[in-house]
Amino acid sequence: MAPDLTIVTTAVALPFVAAALAPLLYRVLGERTGYAGAVVAAASFGLLATSVGEYGTVRASWIPALDVGVQFTVDGWGLLFALLASGIGVLVFVYSAAYMHDEEGLARYYAALLAFMGSVLGVALASDLVLIFLFWELTSLCSFVLIGHYTADEESRYSARMAMVVTVGGGLCLLAGALMLAAAARGALGGATFDLTAMIANDEAMRASLRESGLFVPALGLIVVAAAAKSAQVPLHFWLPNAMVAPTPVSAFLHSATMVKVGVYFLGRVRPLLMSPEWVAVVATLGLLTMTVGALLAVAATDTKELLAYSTASHLGLMVAGFGFDVVYGGEAGAFHLLNHALFKAPLFLVAGIVAHEAGSRSLDELGGLWRELPVTAAITAVAALSMAGIPPFNGFYSKELLFEAAYEVAHEAGGLAWLYPAAATFASVLTVVYSLKFLAVFFGERRTPVAEVHRPPIALVGPPAVLAIAAAVVSAAPQVAVDAVVQGAVEATATGEAELSVGLPTHFTPPVAMSAVAVLGGIAAYPLRGRLAAGIRRGVEAPVPVRPSGWYDWVVSTAAATSARFGPAVHDGLLRRYVGWVAAAGSLFALAGFAAAEGSLGIGGLGGLGVPLPVAVVLGVATLAGVAVAIATSHVSGVLTLSILGFMLAIFFILASAPDLALTQLVVETLLLLMFLLVLQRLPSYYSEVRPLAIARDAGVSLLVGATAFVAVLLTIPGPDADPTGVATYYTEQAVPGGGGTNVVNVILVDFRAFDTFGELLVVTIAAIAILVLVTMRTRGEASEAEVEENPLPDGGDSP
Amino acid sequence: MQTTTRVTVPIVLVVAISLFLQGHNLPGGGFIGGVLTAAAFVLIYVAYDLDYLESGVLGREIEPGTSVFEHRTVTAYRRTLLAGLVIVLGSGVAGILVGDPFLTQGYVHLEGIPVYHEVELASALLFDLGVYLVVVGSLLTIVSVVSGE
Amino acid sequence: MSVALAIAVGGLFAVGTFLLLQRDLIRVVLGVAVVSQATFVYLIAMGGIDEGARDLVPVLDTHGGGVPEIADPVVQALVLTAIVISFGTTALALVLSYRAYEENETMDVTEWAR
Repeated sequence: MAPDLTIVTTAVALPFVAAALAPLLYRVLGERTGYAGAVVAAASFGLLATSVGEYGTVRASWIPALDVGVQFTVDGWGLLFALLASGIGVLVFVYSAAYMHDEEGLARYYAALLAFMGSVLGVALASDLVLIFLFWELTSLCSFVLIGHYTADEESRYSARMAMVVTVGGGLCLLAGALMLAAAARGALGGATFDLTAMIANDEAMRASLRESGLFVPALGLIVVAAAAKSAQVPLHFWLPNAMVAPTPVSAFLHSATMVKVGVYFLGRVRPLLMSPEWVAVVATLGLLTMTVGALLAVAATDTKELLAYSTASHLGLMVAGFGFDVVYGGEAGAFHLLNHALFKAPLFLVAGIVAHEAGSRSLDELGGLWRELPVTAAITAVAALSMAGIPPFNGFYSKELLFEAAYEVAHEAGGLAWLYPAAATFASVLTVVYSLKFLAVFFGERRTPVAEVHRPPIALVGPPAVLAIAAAVVSAAPQVAVDAVVQGAVEATATGEAELSVGLPTHFTPPVAMSAVAVLGGIAAYPLRGRLAAGIRRGVEAPVPVRPSGWYDWVVSTAAATSARFGPAVHDGLLRRYVGWVAAAGSLFALAGFAAAEGSLGIGGLGGLGVPLPVAVVLGVATLAGVAVAIATSHVSGVLTLSILGFMLAIFFILASAPDLALTQLVVETLLLLMFLLVLQRLPSYYSEVRPLAIARDAGVSLLVGATAFVAVLLTIPGPDADPTGVATYYTEQAVPGGGGTNVVNVILVDFRAFDTFGELLVVTIAAIAILVLVTMRTRGEASEAEVEENPLPDGGDSP
Repeated sequence: MQTTTRVTVPIVLVVAISLFLQGHNLPGGGFIGGVLTAAAFVLIYVAYDLDYLESGVLGREIEPGTSVFEHRTVTAYRRTLLAGLVIVLGSGVAGILVGDPFLTQGYVHLEGIPVYHEVELASALLFDLGVYLVVVGSLLTIVSVVSGE
Repeated sequence: MSVALAIAVGGLFAVGTFLLLQRDLIRVVLGVAVVSQATFVYLIAMGGIDEGARDLVPVLDTHGGGVPEIADPVVQALVLTAIVISFGTTALALVLSYRAYEENETMDVTEWAR
C-alpha cells in the first residue's frame, strides 16, 4: 500500500511552517513555545506513525528538465530514522521549555530547532538526491545557528563555524557524489535521474555503469567523506566535541540522536547500491578506527558533555562499521544500534544537562555520589549507561553483539589482516565499558568535592530522559518486540540480500559471545586503571599539530584568511580598469583553456583561403585598420573620426552580407553617434593624458589575449560556407508569411516572433534616454539650488549650440 | 547648409515613413524608420538650433531661459517615447484580451481595396509603430539634451 | 572557416579591450563602441557569409511563395536591436563621462578613483 503524498509532505513541512511562525508564537506564548514545538513534533510523529507498514514512493515533479522531483520514499529505514527524530524531538522540546528558562533569543532557538527537525525528517524520507542534498545542507545550517546560540561567546562562534565548515564541506562532497550517481544512472537506467530508489532497485546495473565510467571509487569516496564529515568520523571528528558549547538540549538532539546520524543513515541508505570490496575496506575500517579513537578520547575526557561527545563519535563508528561489513549481521548491527544509541545517548545528554543545571558543574573530577539528591536521575543514568557499555541484558548489548558477529564472520572468511576488525571492535568495547562506568560514577560511589546545594530538578527536566530510559528498558527486556515493530523494516531496506533479524540473549558459547565477555570483564578490570590510562591518552593527544586534525583545521582556516587578505588588495584596489583587466584576462584564459580541452571534438577545419568574397575581406580589413587607428589616435576628435570610419565600413559590410536593414540603421546611427561625440567633445579637453610605456605594454598584452580568444572563437563557431541554415532560422523563414504575415523575415522576427525581446530592448533604450535626461537635468537643478544659496543665479546652458 | 536642409529633410522624412510602412514586407521597419526620422530632426538642429522647430516650423513663441528639461520640444519627445511604450504594451495586452498569449500578433487580409487591391493589416504594424515612436522619442531626447548642453 | 572574419573580429576585440583599459575616459567610451561593433561582425559571421551574398537578402518574394535560401535572418534581427541598444549605451556612457569630467575636472580615471 503506497503512502499518501499529503501525509508525508505535511509531516516534513509542518516543522518548517512552525519554524516560520516561531517568532510569532514566542511573542504570544513566551517560554511555553517549547511545548508548542513539542506539539508540532508530536504531530509529525503521529502522521509518520500512520505510515508504518505502508511502504512505497510518492513523487511530485519539481524541475522536470533535470528530472529532479520532490520524491519521498517511505520504507523501514527512513521511517525508523524519521520516527526517532520526531519522537526524541517531542521530548527535547519539553525539556527545552524547562532548561532554557530565562534565556535570550528563544524565538531564534525554537525556530532553528524546528527547522532542524524538519530537515532531518526531509533527509530521512526524501529519495531524490537533489532533495536529500538540500535537506542535508539545511541540517548543517540549522545546526550552525544552534551551536552558535550564545552569540556573545567567542568559543561558541568558533565552534559553530567549525561545525559549519566541516559539515557543509562534506555536503558539497555529497553533491559531487550525487552528480556522479546521476551520470551513471544515464547509462544504467536510460536517462539522467536523481531518483535514488530507482538506482537502488537497479543496483547491479548502476555498479556496472559506475565501474565502466571509472566513477565508482570517486563516487564511493565522496559519499563516504560526506557521511564521515556529518557523522564525525576520524579524522573529521573534531567538530563534535566542540559543538558541545551548544545548549544541552541541542547537544542531546543534534549531536547524539539526529544530525550525526544523518551520515550513518545515508551510508545505510546507499549500502545496497555501493556494496563492494572497496566499500568494506573503506567504510568498515573507518568505522572501527573511529570507534577506537572515540573511545580512547572519551576515556581521557574530563567534562561530562565532552565524554558523551567522544562516546557519540565512537558509537557512530560502531554503526558505520556495521554498515561497512558485507554480511547480514553488519546491516542489522547498524540499523539496530541507530535505535539503541538514540535511546541511551539522548537521556545521558539530558542527564548531563540536569547535573550541570542542578549541581552547577560539568567536571567529572568534581562530581560523584549524586544519587542521594537525584535518585530518579541516577536510575535513568544507570539504565542508559549500562546500555551504552553494552552489558547484557541492556539493549546496547544486542546491537554490539551483532557487530561482533559481523566482524568475526568477516575475519573468519577473509583471514589475515581482517582479524584486526574483531580485535579493534573488542578493544574499543573494553574502553566503552570504562568510560560508561566513569560517567556512572557521577551518581554512584563516594562524593569527590562537597557540592554546595543540589536542587531537585523539575518534572519537565526529568520526564524526557525518563521516557527514553523506559523505552530503552523496554527494548532491553523484549528486544524482539522492538525489532518486529520498526527495526526489521530498516534492516530489510539496508540489507544487500535477505535478512531476518532475530535477537536475544546468547544461549550457547560462540566466539562473539567470548568477545563480549572479554569486553565487559576487561572493562571492569581496567576501570581502576582509568587515571593512568587517561593520562597516557592525553599525552598522545597533546602531540604537535600533525596528528591533531583540529590543528589542521585551524591552519587551513587561518591560512585561507591570510591569503585572501593578501590577495584582495591585489585585484580589488578600487580602479575599474584593473577589474576589467583581470576579468578580461582571466575570462580569456579560461575560454582558451576550454577550447584547448574541447579542441578534439570541435576541430578547426581547413584554414586555406580567405573564406569570404574579396570585397568583404577588403572592407573588413579597412574596418580593422580603422580600429587600430582609433587606438593610436592622439586626440579625442581624431579617435572619434576614425571610429566613425569603422562604423561606416561596417555598414558596407552589412550590405555585402545581405543585410540591408542593418546597413541602413548602422549608417544613420553612426552619423548620430558621431554628432553626439562631437557635441560632447567640444566641452572636453582635446588631448589624452600622458602615455606610459609599461602600462601600454600590459594593456596590450591583455588585449591581445582577448583578441586571440575572439579569433579562436570565430574560427571554431562560424558555420562553413556549405552549412545548412540553423533550425531556428529555417523555422522563422518558413513561418514568416503564414505566421507573421510579412515577407521581411527580419522585421517579422522583431515585431512578431520575438516581440517580447524587442519590447525589452525598447525599455533599454528608454531607460538610457531617461538616464541621460536625468543626468543633465539633475546637474542643472543641483547648481540652481547651490546658486540660490549663493544668491547668484547662474544661467543654465539650455540652448547654447 | 540651411538650404540643403530645407530640401533634404522632407525627403528624408518621407523616406523614413515609407521605410517604416513597408517594413513588414520589404527592407525597413520601425527601427530604421525611427533612426532615419531622428536623423532628419537632428539635421534641423545642426543647421538651425533647438528652437527652430518651434519658432520656424510650428510658429510658436519661444520661452527664453527655460532649461532643456522643460523645453517644449524635449517634452514632446518624451511624450512620443511614452506614447510608443503605451502602444507597444497596448498591442500586447490587446492580444491577451482576445485570449492569445501576451504579444501575440495577428493579421487580416483585406481584399478589393482600391489602388492596392490587396492589403494586409497586421497588428504587428501597430507594434512596429510603437517601436518607431520609442526609437524616435528616445534618440531625439538623447541628442537634444546633449546638444542642449 | 573564414580567417579574414576571424582576424577582423579578433583585431577589433583586441583594440576595444585596449581602449577599455585606458586611463582616459573618452577612450574607454570609444572602447565600448568598438567592442560592440566587433560583436556585430561576430554575430553576422555566425549566420554565415556566402558568395554572391546580395541575392540572399532575407525578404521573401511573394506571399505564399516557396522558401528560398537566404541569409540567416535571426542574426540580423539580433544585430539590428544590438545597433540601437549600443547607440543608447554609448550615448549614456558619453554623457556619464562628461558629467564625471564636470564634477572632477579631469578625464583620468585613476585620479578621481580615490
